[in-house]
Amino acid sequence: MSAQTRQMIGSLLVAAIIVAVTIIAVTSKLGPTSAAELEQREDRAKERQEQREERLEEREDSGGEGG
Amino acid sequence: MEGLFRGNVTEVKVVLASVALALACYQLVLAAVGYRKLRPRFLEPRPAFRTHRASGDTIAVVIVLVAVLCVSYFEIEDDAAFHAVTGAALIAVLGLKVVVIRWWHAASRFLPALGITVFVLLAATWASTAGAFLS
Repeated sequence: MSAQTRQMIGSLLVAAIIVAVTIIAVTSKLGPTSAAELEQREDRAKERQEQREERLEEREDSGGEGG
Repeated sequence: MEGLFRGNVTEVKVVLASVALALACYQLVLAAVGYRKLRPRFLEPRPAFRTHRASGDTIAVVIVLVAVLCVSYFEIEDDAAFHAVTGAALIAVLGLKVVVIRWWHAASRFLPALGITVFVLLAATWASTAGAFLS
């Protein structure tokens, strides 16, 4: 492998590293503001709310039967 | 478009534009080595220019992709006039640079000026939306 080929491969690797670092830096900065993450959070909150309501209904039902 | 990016069109656009800008900064260094303004021991002008060309092709594809996202997904609003003007100018100058590189070799002496213009327009376009979005 000639010196120039090595240099070109090296400089292309630097470019690839720049791309990777930029993607990591920007996505970490964006973080939980992404729409997908917000949607997931909303879904989880909705699920928790439904479970809470179900438990409350069950408790009311069993309380009504007992009293 | 929204389904493809799972509702994160703006975020994808910001990441792509930031990658283009980061590579554009690297392009300046490679061009400086290619034109012998910088003379590092570990990189000669010829491989620097080859990498400059490969990286430049990548940047051009990314810029076109971001422009397509901008035009197809976002509406042009009054407060985005600066972004629209710099973005359109960027596409025009980038197109001219590609023409000079591939076919119009007589105008090769303008390549450094065209390259710097592309960089300035890219930085201005990025700052007007992606920069503001990230800050």
